[in-house]
Amino acid sequence: MSKIIGAVEIGTSCAKALVGEVTEGKSLNIVGKSVRKNEGMRKGEIVDFRKVASSVHAALEEAEKMSGTTVDSVYLAQTGAHIKGSFLRGSANVASPDGRVSVDDLQTAANEAKRKQPASGRSYVHHVRMPIQLDGRSVEDPVGMIGKKVELIYWSIEGDESAIRMNLDLAHNYGLEVADLILSSIASSTMVAGPDLRRAGVLVIDLGAGVTDLALYRNGNVAYTGVIPVGGDHLTGDLSMGLRVLEPYAEELKLEYGKAQSDPSDADQQLWIIGNKTIGDRKVPRKTMTDIIHVRVVELFEIISKELGDLLDTSELGAGVLLTGGASRLPGIEQLASKVLGVPVTKANFPSGLGNELAQPENSTVLGLLHYGLEDHGLPGEQHKAVSSGFIKKLGGLIGI
Amino acid sequence: MNTNQETFFETNDNSNLNNNSFGIRAKVIGVGGAGISLVDGLRFDNFDFVDNLIIDVDIKAVADSLASQKLTFGRRHTRGMGTGGDVNLGKRLAEEEKDKIRKELEGVDLVFLLAGLGGGVGGGAAPVVARLAREHGALVFAFTPLPFSWEKTRHAQAEECLSELRKHANAVIPLPNDSLLQMGGEDSTALECFAEAGRNVSRGIAAICNIVFKKGMIDVDFSYLRKVFSGRGGRTLFGYGKGSGKEGLREALRDLLVCPMLHMPDVSKAADILLIFIQGGTSLSMSGLQSVSKEIRDSFKAGEDVVFGAHVDENLGEEVKITILGVTSLDPLVPTADVAPVAQQVLELGKNAKQSHRSKLEITNTSPEKTSSMATRKKRGRNIDNKEQNTFFFMEAENQRGIFDDLPSRNMYEGEDLDVPSYLRRGVKIVI
Repeated sequence: MSKIIGAVEIGTSCAKALVGEVTEGKSLNIVGKSVRKNEGMRKGEIVDFRKVASSVHAALEEAEKMSGTTVDSVYLAQTGAHIKGSFLRGSANVASPDGRVSVDDLQTAANEAKRKQPASGRSYVHHVRMPIQLDGRSVEDPVGMIGKKVELIYWSIEGDESAIRMNLDLAHNYGLEVADLILSSIASSTMVAGPDLRRAGVLVIDLGAGVTDLALYRNGNVAYTGVIPVGGDHLTGDLSMGLRVLEPYAEELKLEYGKAQSDPSDADQQLWIIGNKTIGDRKVPRKTMTDIIHVRVVELFEIISKELGDLLDTSELGAGVLLTGGASRLPGIEQLASKVLGVPVTKANFPSGLGNELAQPENSTVLGLLHYGLEDHGLPGEQHKAVSSGFIKKLGGLIGI
Repeated sequence: MNTNQETFFETNDNSNLNNNSFGIRAKVIGVGGAGISLVDGLRFDNFDFVDNLIIDVDIKAVADSLASQKLTFGRRHTRGMGTGGDVNLGKRLAEEEKDKIRKELEGVDLVFLLAGLGGGVGGGAAPVVARLAREHGALVFAFTPLPFSWEKTRHAQAEECLSELRKHANAVIPLPNDSLLQMGGEDSTALECFAEAGRNVSRGIAAICNIVFKKGMIDVDFSYLRKVFSGRGGRTLFGYGKGSGKEGLREALRDLLVCPMLHMPDVSKAADILLIFIQGGTSLSMSGLQSVSKEIRDSFKAGEDVVFGAHVDENLGEEVKITILGVTSLDPLVPTADVAPVAQQVLELGKNAKQSHRSKLEITNTSPEKTSSMATRKKRGRNIDNKEQNTFFFMEAENQRGIFDDLPSRNMYEGEDLDVPSYLRRGVKIVI
């Protein structure tokens, strides 16, 4: 028996759709994929709904056509500057007289943890569960064990309700059910940081076009997630203003000649702004261009460092920092990041077995959606509801909407 | 630029262009500490055919100034000392003694208001002075240096004062220190940056005064200037360029288009009202002027309201200088009691569709962060219907947001707008 699942990431520069086929034994084949330029979004937020809708729908249609099947439900990535994360806790005394933990006890604790409602206008995106605590010990599955009290901790991510709703509507309007809304940073770190890295401690920085997503893992668990509303587009914007060129030319210059740190060879190198040397074209020093990018990148990592504060502890980050996302292609960015953060930084790799075309830094979120979706994040004893007709439907409570 | 400035004012002195012969009185008013230094700076450029007035609460600062007219206020509250950067105090004191200020504004037709908006008097009292000046029927151009964005609280305060000032002045030309630092050589210092502010003010004032007061190749009269700038100014563009040699005019145009003061993507460079002033040596040709002026109009998407002036200055030789001042038109200013009759007549004569259908402005107390909706911002102050227009104010920083300019909210982090290029906020010089 095989299942068809879909993943949609509505990114600031592109809308991406993947169709995956899960065969028995949980192996995943990607059978359809499509990327469409998205012009209706800025900094991870929708500014022109119809433009976004048309590119999302075009991407979905193409991915479905390629796979030769239809998708009923998708995993949807959520990001944006409005996203905030915090820990929620809930506990329950073991109810049965013999002191054995039952599934109901876990449910009670879970309900208590999730009882706290977000402020009005805000809504939960995602609850990430930490290991269950049984009388202060971390236990994978306490059901049947003897104890007094079970405690559940969730890293709960909330965001602006209307922004989340718009994101969901984009899938609903295409007649798709959203199986789960997944935080972009968690999706991409699922892809690029395997369980061993997460246990060692790792910070994944996904440098997107509009925003930068952060996810920090300690001892295998999420310790922090964050979104910084600065991304690759800011490099383009800075270049456009600094060099006084139109945005598309700035974008081309960035992709072609951009680098994070200037080197001595830049000093006497001149770049043509448009490249075809027509009227209006002029030359700019390459050093100037590199300087503009350099200042922005340094500032971005300084903000990341400020946001993380004490969490950015080398001894707790055994696996260091991994960079992914489209903007991580910028040459020299890992050395510069390492200098600013004071922690070893490398560009993230993908697990082997993915085609070359897919294993690109800008795809880590959309790939991660499928992988995260496949994993079981429910409570022990809870049914990971897989409906036989071929799509997975997760418990509504996990979505929180 | 300085040499030009001097030559202009020297010739001016020689021909003794007495304002009275035009019946127009212009006054440069410096408010607060930064305003005073700017006025004093102008004075050294032989700037004395226009009255200079300085206003401050700090008696010592006023006493040290070289300005011809001085006014102190608020002595009862501050005992002659400064306001300590308290904008509200500066504003309150100015309001309390507004009759004193009014007296200085009587009969003045053109006011150049110079004030650093980071200070208590500059930020607090300047909008009051602008309002009073307009109540007296004067046309008010304000030149306002803004603190560096790393001076976080002061910068934020200055932005608030700027939007307040924009409610009252006909055109406000912000001179952000961030952008000024981009001028000059690679290792320019903060001091040079302040000097640059002074030069910019001189350029701006000189361009306007030249066109109105001095006879040249192409001139306009004051009533026309008043008509064109009668509205409430939105965003301002201010830039200049120079060139020399055979292709001087073209070179100056190229220089103008990459001027650091016009640090913004082309889409934002739109001006409903545009003042162009070109100065050059005897080789300045009419056909050249025509094509350059057309190109400038096109690059700034100017409408019909263009004030164009061109002067020949033999001392310039082959050099050509272009100064532009553009404003996006908003609705009329806060209605004032008495608008000068001449302006009124012109307004009524020239059927100005832009103004005619607009109702009175209601001031809303919306804070800049919460204001504009996407729809209004997209249109960039053009042809916006009235109600929407009143709900937002333009801010200096928006001029610096580049490709993120059309977003509804600003991207604030620890008091800095992250959408503004880092190099501008960090004072990193960009050489192009």
